[in-house]
Amino acid sequence: MKTLLKKTAVAAIALGLSVSAAAADKIRIALAETPSDELAAFFVALERAKANGLDYEWTAFSDEELAIQAVLSGQMDIGFGTPYAAMQRSKAPLRIVFQLSKLKFFPVTTKKYSSLNDLDGEPILLHSRGGGTDSIANVIEDRLSMKFGERSYVPGSSNRVAALLGGRADATIIDLSNKNKLMRSEAGSNFNVLEMFDVEASDEALFGNLNWIQENEEDVAIFVEALVSTWQDMHEDPTIIRKETNPDGPIGQLPKEILDELDGFYSDAVEGGLYDPNGGGRKAAQADMEWYSAAGQLEGDASELNIEDFWYLAPLDAAMNK
Amino acid sequence: MANRALYLKFLSAVLLFGAWEVAGRIPVSFAFPTFLESMGALFRMIGDGTMATAYAETLRPLVVGVAISAFLGIAIGLWVGLSSFFEWLFSPIFIVMQAAPLAALIPLLVLAYGIGLTSKVLVVCIMAMPVIVLNTAGAVRNTPESMKEMGKAFLATDLAIILKIVIPAASPVIFAGLRLGISAGFIGAILAELKITPTGVGDIITYSRSIADYPSMYAAIFSIILLAVLFLNLLEKIETVLFKGNQRGYVSD
Repeated sequence: MKTLLKKTAVAAIALGLSVSAAAADKIRIALAETPSDELAAFFVALERAKANGLDYEWTAFSDEELAIQAVLSGQMDIGFGTPYAAMQRSKAPLRIVFQLSKLKFFPVTTKKYSSLNDLDGEPILLHSRGGGTDSIANVIEDRLSMKFGERSYVPGSSNRVAALLGGRADATIIDLSNKNKLMRSEAGSNFNVLEMFDVEASDEALFGNLNWIQENEEDVAIFVEALVSTWQDMHEDPTIIRKETNPDGPIGQLPKEILDELDGFYSDAVEGGLYDPNGGGRKAAQADMEWYSAAGQLEGDASELNIEDFWYLAPLDAAMNK
Repeated sequence: MANRALYLKFLSAVLLFGAWEVAGRIPVSFAFPTFLESMGALFRMIGDGTMATAYAETLRPLVVGVAISAFLGIAIGLWVGLSSFFEWLFSPIFIVMQAAPLAALIPLLVLAYGIGLTSKVLVVCIMAMPVIVLNTAGAVRNTPESMKEMGKAFLATDLAIILKIVIPAASPVIFAGLRLGISAGFIGAILAELKITPTGVGDIITYSRSIADYPSMYAAIFSIILLAVLFLNLLEKIETVLFKGNQRGYVSD
């Protein structure tokens, strides 16, 4: 019995080791959502990285928190999201290497309201408790010294637009592309986009375990370089995303209607400042510290937080100097 | 004998929580807290009233759904078991309900019934009802024929045969169905709160996860499991009181 147990234990450990050894060849990317128009630029960067010798595989998770957990537990190497709370609380050496997009969200309301101050005490529809739009609501309350009424949560900007259109909500916060779609549609005249301060903080960033990043310096360098080059080229000409999309890749397989809108989506996004051509870096890190501590995701004063505890800037610096 | 049972229960709890603590300390993952951290979070949330508010929210669809499933489920089950016409009419519905992947059907439920209490109660019912109905029907159908004949020989009315022979004979399996159904109802209630709109305990789980407060997340999961176990034990006590002579080995032994 004992030897049997021992044998099983040895076999189990050996299996575990061989699995992790086999997986070390490819970098494993945890996406926070299924491939969609918003990820097209990211996949273009992946194609470029692949051309430079990066071997990767990706897995789409149903939400950001699961992607973060998968990176935390080492099942994935690099993930998508803004895991500031996880970095601070779980003592895991997670570091961000690249800012993929900024928190560009817009308060949209029915004609009932015309400024943010009108929303004092009024109910608002947000994505999820503790999520990005929730943090925006917190900072709005903080800066304008007001207080929203009841917050209810409906995940997905498009679902919140549906709620607005269906008359089930009068105020919500939605992303750039849904705001544009709504305001350009016929129904757009029934809604107001409220004026809001500019946000530089990250919505999605690329992060990994520091130990893994340092052990795979080369792969990370190729990846970050590809991202920087794509983000910069996209700023020059947003239509490169559509042109460079691999027709056999996960984005190329999307319906034609979505592919046809890629040019419009990225032109709007570049114009709206959704992407930073310099990958964020110190400026984004500083903005994130301030933003996420104001939003309650980070504890402590922003000025006392150390950027190095959250960002690993070496690959981005190297890529920018090329 | 009772002492030995208690001792064994205690031992298995110590083993399980010990393993949890060890796994948390290794740690198997940065996202996996230790048992003591989780219990700390649990008592903190009980202390500051978070748990009470959360359960007030979660128990509504759960209690309503389980109550509907239990009463309606047993009633339909009896009916289906007693009449082959109703079996033909109803049992396919419940077999389909039992086999359906509920999480995938939630968007349909939301489409039809909105994001409010109705959808959540329905999720609980879809999870809980089929097991209760099918178990009850099966048990009723398998009442010993000789007993029923004896009832007829003593000129008992149909109602008396059902109340005094069929139901007592079927009670162990009916209760087994109830236990399974109610634990499925717990799963349904949490599933609804995670998949439809995060409220109550589901909200604690998603919110603690999004701010990486993993001890609170595990504490919330632990509390719902604990509640389910306690409730199942209570149900068993009810069964022993209602139908003496049917006691067999169950969880609480």
